[in-house]
Amino acid sequence: MPKVVRMVADIVTAKCTGCNLCVNVCPTVALGLRARRPDEPGPSKKVAVLDAAACYNAQNCLEICPEDAIVMRDLDPPFSVGFDHTTVDRAAIERLCAMTGFSPNLAVCVCTRTTVAEIAGAILAGADTPEKVALATGARTGCTELCLQPILILLAAAGHGDKPRNPPRGFQWYGIGGTLYQHARLDGTFPEDLVADFPSYPLDRELLDLARLRRS
Amino acid sequence: MHTGYDPFLRSLAPPPLLPTWNKRRPAEVVQQRVADIPGMVALPVRALMPALPEPIWSPDAAFGPTDVEVIRQRTRDIVRTMDWSKIQRGKRVNLIANPHGFFLCGEAYVAMLEEIAAHVRATTGASVRLRIAESMGHIENPDWMRIFDLRGRFGDAEECPQIGKGTRVETRLGDFWVTQKLFHADHFIHTHVTEMREGYLHRMLDRLYKPFGMGYTRLETRSAYHFGFGPRTGQLVARAVFGSDFIQERYTGTVVLNTTSEGIVGVDGDNDLETLDKRLATEILRNYGTLIRLLAEIDECVTVFDGHGCAIYTYGGGIAFDNLLCANVDFLDLDNLALLAAFSPPEDMARSGLLMGGNPAIKAIVINYMAGGVPEQFLWDQYPTLVVGEPVYRWLITDPSNTYLAERATVIPDLATALDRARELTGTDKVIAFDRTPGALRVSESMGHHLLARAPAVAADVEQHRLPKWLAQRHLA
Repeated sequence: MPKVVRMVADIVTAKCTGCNLCVNVCPTVALGLRARRPDEPGPSKKVAVLDAAACYNAQNCLEICPEDAIVMRDLDPPFSVGFDHTTVDRAAIERLCAMTGFSPNLAVCVCTRTTVAEIAGAILAGADTPEKVALATGARTGCTELCLQPILILLAAAGHGDKPRNPPRGFQWYGIGGTLYQHARLDGTFPEDLVADFPSYPLDRELLDLARLRRS
Repeated sequence: MHTGYDPFLRSLAPPPLLPTWNKRRPAEVVQQRVADIPGMVALPVRALMPALPEPIWSPDAAFGPTDVEVIRQRTRDIVRTMDWSKIQRGKRVNLIANPHGFFLCGEAYVAMLEEIAAHVRATTGASVRLRIAESMGHIENPDWMRIFDLRGRFGDAEECPQIGKGTRVETRLGDFWVTQKLFHADHFIHTHVTEMREGYLHRMLDRLYKPFGMGYTRLETRSAYHFGFGPRTGQLVARAVFGSDFIQERYTGTVVLNTTSEGIVGVDGDNDLETLDKRLATEILRNYGTLIRLLAEIDECVTVFDGHGCAIYTYGGGIAFDNLLCANVDFLDLDNLALLAAFSPPEDMARSGLLMGGNPAIKAIVINYMAGGVPEQFLWDQYPTLVVGEPVYRWLITDPSNTYLAERATVIPDLATALDRARELTGTDKVIAFDRTPGALRVSESMGHHLLARAPAVAADVEQHRLPKWLAQRHLA
């Protein structure tokens, strides 16, 4: 499902301190730093600079900027971003999905309705980092909260789990978080010590009940 | 039969619309609130749940005292009983707050925070800084920093967004990442308010721990919570993060405002979060359970959003819309697995379960005002949606999470016409609005009478059957 991008960021260079925070959080790496020109009064030697074509209206920069040095303005005309997964071999997509356990139909980026199949297709078509996945699909440019873990897992399954962050000290993403499933035994049960550590939770039934629900 | 008894509060006004963090002023744009529409009434929650405990503080004088001095006194009383000896003179302590506290309890929450900070400073000699965990982006929130002058009142106060720099935390379940700024201190104090938001996620298991798996964490952790666990086990993330060495080395104690739909019924605190959680969980289930189950008795309705928050997190009568959205399944019953479908594609399910936005009783949505910031596509896909006025429509379709609304919504110039259109479209005159009014549900009279008629049976069912089961499932009986 394509995302319609209707706004773009504008840098208020007079307020920008060149702190680099916006660069560190942009999911499409649309921001960088450049030298402040002599005709640009302001508090720093460097200022943020935007690649407008890569700005997908995520507004992370707006949120993180401590100086109100970024504003959003309407984009005329808007543009759409999304990935057509039918351009990629379906069997390859399904193989990659099967490696992760995620259904191809699962919408992992709820903001843009981007499915696992679309993410997997973009990865197979060459998107080998989270920012390239975002640029190809639009995922990670909404709330940026829900979709990250499945994207990182799919990238790792495709052999791209070792990519460095971009920028290197940025914090668009860190790593794959723990999951319940990684602790499950083949029969759907969990190690006794784990069950004992979390006595309030129905660990002994969770995966077995889920399997029953899916089969029924 | 006309008895002469009129349970409705006909002149109760909703709280005003506030300036937002992203510099919007909805009060200047929204021409009419749903409370102003003829036929809409405020149905007191107490008329539905007469046994609700009396509030010691309420955001509205219609329901209880509004003077926060009682909150200050109760906070002083509780923090004096807690052990702060872990904190040494000269150390830095982060007092962690959350937007929901400001949203639901306003000045009372600020007063509680001030009293905690004053006590810890005075008794330990440590410095105390306010750190606010920003969840799901700032967009959904009013500008609490300015509205409550938090920098002026606390000195060192800062909002800490989930997209900020993270700290890796090793846990029993694997690595997770928390928001560095929240924990960049020698110690921290956890604060909370008891209420039922996202019950379909936390399932009232370790409710007070939830921010350690969500609000206090980075994007990866929140995503893992949603996609890495089953329908009853997402809270394991919170429990695991809280149990990590990193958190335990810094944790000192928790102070909580205990709420009902009407306001605050107590201030509680403990150094032992598990003890505190168990103490309050029973009260949360008792004080909110009947109201949540009563929403399941709504057979058809038009839903109106007319306040802060974003769709599923808009509030009315002290509870969030997500409770209505998920009301067709008893998500407090841990035997219920239907919530698996919350993040599963329906075509993958052999048996249909509860889908996000799947309550068939909701027939249409009218948006008079709501903030963005949270994806709600599943609503726009499933329910006819009417948006009142171009300015609000424009705000929503430029929201990073809701651009898709443009393909689904119909823009109507004024609220009265939008409600008429929704009634025509759906064939029902039952309306329920989420306008942040505390203590009362904003409903059409027909909906009010429907809920009043159903409430006694629901209360009896909860008291006699459901509550005992909920408590037993959580070892709280």
